[in-house]
Amino acid sequence: MSSVPQELKDTSVASSKWLDAHYDPVANLYTFSSCIALSDLHGDGENKLVVGDLGTGLCNMKLKVYRGTGLLSESTLLDLPTGLVSFLMDLHEPRTPAIAVASGPFIYVYKNMRPYFKFTLPSLDINPLEQDVWCQAKEDMIDPMTLKEMLEGLRDKSEIPLSVRSLRFLMLEPHEMENFVHLHKELPIRRQTVITCIGTLKKNMADEDAVSCLVIGTENGDVYILDPEAFTILYKMSLPSTPTLMDVTGQFDVEFRITVACRNGNIYILRRDSPKPKYCIELSSHPVGLVRMGKNVVVGCTHETLHGYTQKGKKLWTAYLPAPVTTMALMDLPTRGFQAVLVGLANCEVHMYRDKNLIGTIKTPDVVTSICFGRYGREDGTLIMTTKGGGLIVKILKRTAVFDDRDSTPGPPIAQSIRLNVPKKTKLYVDQTLRERENAIAMHRAFQMDLSRLRLAAARAYVKALESSLTPMSASLTEPLKMNAVVQGLGPSFKLTLNIQNTAASRPVMNLAISFLYDESLYSMRTAFFKIPLLVPGLNYPIDTFVECLSDKGVSDIIKVFVLREGKSAPLLTAHINMPVSEGLALN
Amino acid sequence: MEVTVSMDPLFLAWSSCRRRRFQRCADICSTLLAESPYDQEPAATATAAHVSEAVWSLKTRALTEMVYIDEVEVEQEGIADMMLDESSIAQVARPGTSLRRPATSQAGAPTPAVRPMTQSGRPITGFVRPSTLSGRPETMEQAIRTPRTASTARPVSSASGRFVRLGTASMLTHPDGPFINLSRLNLAKYAKRPNLCKTLFEYIFHHENDVKTALDLAALATEHAQFKDWWWKVQLGKCYYRLGLLREAEKQFRSALAQQEFVDTHLYLAKVYQRLDQPITALTVFKQGLDHFPAEVTLLTGIARILEEMNNMSSATEYYREVLKQDNTHVEAIACIGSTHFYTDQPEIALRFYRRLLQMGVFNCQLYNNLGLCCFYAQQYDMSLSCLERALALVSGDEEQADVWYNLGHVAVGIGDLTLAYQCFKLSLAFNNNHGEAYNNLAVLELRKGHIEQAKAFLQTAASLSPHMYEPHYNYATLSDKVGDLQSSFTAAQKSEDAFPEHVDTQQILRSLRQHFSSL
Repeated sequence: MSSVPQELKDTSVASSKWLDAHYDPVANLYTFSSCIALSDLHGDGENKLVVGDLGTGLCNMKLKVYRGTGLLSESTLLDLPTGLVSFLMDLHEPRTPAIAVASGPFIYVYKNMRPYFKFTLPSLDINPLEQDVWCQAKEDMIDPMTLKEMLEGLRDKSEIPLSVRSLRFLMLEPHEMENFVHLHKELPIRRQTVITCIGTLKKNMADEDAVSCLVIGTENGDVYILDPEAFTILYKMSLPSTPTLMDVTGQFDVEFRITVACRNGNIYILRRDSPKPKYCIELSSHPVGLVRMGKNVVVGCTHETLHGYTQKGKKLWTAYLPAPVTTMALMDLPTRGFQAVLVGLANCEVHMYRDKNLIGTIKTPDVVTSICFGRYGREDGTLIMTTKGGGLIVKILKRTAVFDDRDSTPGPPIAQSIRLNVPKKTKLYVDQTLRERENAIAMHRAFQMDLSRLRLAAARAYVKALESSLTPMSASLTEPLKMNAVVQGLGPSFKLTLNIQNTAASRPVMNLAISFLYDESLYSMRTAFFKIPLLVPGLNYPIDTFVECLSDKGVSDIIKVFVLREGKSAPLLTAHINMPVSEGLALN
Repeated sequence: MEVTVSMDPLFLAWSSCRRRRFQRCADICSTLLAESPYDQEPAATATAAHVSEAVWSLKTRALTEMVYIDEVEVEQEGIADMMLDESSIAQVARPGTSLRRPATSQAGAPTPAVRPMTQSGRPITGFVRPSTLSGRPETMEQAIRTPRTASTARPVSSASGRFVRLGTASMLTHPDGPFINLSRLNLAKYAKRPNLCKTLFEYIFHHENDVKTALDLAALATEHAQFKDWWWKVQLGKCYYRLGLLREAEKQFRSALAQQEFVDTHLYLAKVYQRLDQPITALTVFKQGLDHFPAEVTLLTGIARILEEMNNMSSATEYYREVLKQDNTHVEAIACIGSTHFYTDQPEIALRFYRRLLQMGVFNCQLYNNLGLCCFYAQQYDMSLSCLERALALVSGDEEQADVWYNLGHVAVGIGDLTLAYQCFKLSLAFNNNHGEAYNNLAVLELRKGHIEQAKAFLQTAASLSPHMYEPHYNYATLSDKVGDLQSSFTAAQKSEDAFPEHVDTQQILRSLRQHFSSL
């Protein structure tokens, strides 16, 4: 189907631990780590890859199943998937797991890749006033504009937020409202929240093939635990913010622990028997990935850092990453008792961390957006990654691969061993220093004398420039102005742009005028004198004017620009514009 | 005995021509031609016809020589050639293979922090050549906006610009019409007369600057010579080059080289490749030329120039040294080696080279300016200010004056006299309103005084005047960062990073800003 590009076969230590099983750069898979799972769908001992494909975000949302390197089946999803898990819902033989796809307020449960059940989140309370308003609209007691005004009033004041329908209505253009009201007024209002993350929790046994409950987090900050068979809500917990990432461990009937990263940048740890979070970790930046490793939680943050925390929220370590984190996943090899965190980075690398030690790096041809590690087909250590460009990468961990526990980042920085290119001091230099040493007094005197003369010359020239206001910035305290002029065009017409800026801290400048001085036999200007508006401090005022070159001899001259103050003959500042040669004639 | 016979006027004219008194030669020829006009009426005898032919030919030569400029040297790309370049294949060439994208991170290449850069991201050279005046701008707006004064502006196209301005006499009016009326010339007739048509061609090409007619004549003549005369092929190549038909020019030069190895032909061919933005091929051409003409100075200089433009300063210096071994009065080589030493922190050696130039009789503002700076940085303080003072006395234009004041400002900063520095930078701006560097340095001084608004305005101006400099952007970033305007700081730092990706301070400010933005 496709070959492995050459650049993947580099000889670095990390890549030699992996076999490149499959790479399809145009697999057309756009997904995130939350929507990807490995599961033995048919109970034949061979794990398939189930992917909730986000498509383009508007259409082409698909549920795809891969087997080996090929696509086994695909079915269309109605809405964007937000999470996908595989779980065992009953004890019937053969033990085939079901797939739950969360999208919008629903969970679609598939068995044998056929739709099996649809769970809908319980609807939320509706603002009674909103209900009233819509009732009135239904009976045509109010027109759409009044409806809009009333809803706007409700939106600003009431504590219970408006329903989606009302919000959508408020977004419409006036001419679309009539239709919208007509279409929707018969239906009852509902306020629904959406699912943001999904996870699984073993019901009462810790076995690999035990029945699991679904755990879902919703937009309005609730966490629900669902019964696997009846899909009733077993338990409800609430959080101060919207959960985005979730990790679940334990058993529902015994003891469990749900670690949730929320949109307010905090991580909450929920436990059985408490509907409120037990512990809270406040991060210094937003979490991007959350992985539990044994009893510790590893969080990747937008700060380009990776933090390790204990179950109780105590910080253990911080690792600094070379690039922003795109996704994270757990690499778990129970047969070898090996666990590591896989971190996808925006610089096309996937790093493997065990605690804070970097134990391996995988280079990828594109930025990885989702990672999944586990048993695929009959191979235990398979790493599946999808890329930003829609590619699919499958790598297999070599059975001989050994990971050293020591940190594989090099010890001292490389810059330390680079020798600086300091030029050697030449013999000439030594001779000159000798001369300096011997004639120090004479040299110093000569220099001081020259310096005094230079100061005098500079002061004279400076005073002359100030007196005739030659500088392009004015030195007066009342009108601190700055001007520079730009000429554009090839000729014979040129555009002059004067950029004038008031550099005072707070005071505006008024009553200014601009005048030009030029050779009238060479140039003509439409307006050689005009007033300029009030200058607000700190803003650049570009003022355009046009100059026509009258000569065809290929000569050019200087045009002087004066900024004048009303009632004063001396200009505030002057700019000299060296006009370019008019090229218009040479082209003809 | 008394000799009253005056010298034969034709011989006198020829002699004047050889002594480079072209006006006199042309005058004598004019009188001779007025007596027996060539081409007007059938001559009485064959000898008379030959004489008038010779006079005519001599006059064309004299007139050509008066305005002759070396075709090998003059090279200035016009705006149109630059912006509407269709011969470039890759928009984004690999670094190190194009003059457009010189490898900036090459080992040993000077960074903009040490050596000032031109607009194209190339360090300034020690010797101003037409093609080094300013680099290729990236946008059309920048191309037309760059300070286009009479001395530095780019022409619209190379066909119109400098050739018209310096290389020809056609812009000036003649009192009695042109010497040869090109439109009435029977080219086919002249093409059959090899002796006449070479001078005629040069007259048309250099004096009249009528490349199309010159091309017609050359084509006819080479056909008459049965394509065996390499000279005509070179001339055809020159015409094609002027017309912008670079691939045809290349073909002609290659064919001429196959017939006859000649230094000029190598130079022309390399010029074609430079225009095509193939510096590596140009280097090969030069090196092939060196196989036939070992240690030829012009070829060595050509190699050195290309290497310099490609930021390979160490190799360029080696070739310049090779040039100096052959010709120890080569001004360009001395100046370039001197500036390289100055910017690699060896001002005492640079001082030697510039002193050598002074001994050779170069006596101008730029040289004294460089000497002054070298003395200052080599700690020979007694000489430095007097050199700069002399430079100030020798200036020939406002821009030079601005540059000298700017350097004086640097010296003043070096000795800690900030008032003097302030005055110097302001004077520099008074003489050249578009001096971006002076604006930047003035802004730093203003900032030290605590005038934040003023510093901001100056930095913005500096950034708009010279977008290739990283300093104003970086300074603006630090200033905004201090004031608390993080968003402007970030955008300015990004611009600074574009101009100078390896700048560590910019990287640091960007890193701290990113961290700031991502924290909760």
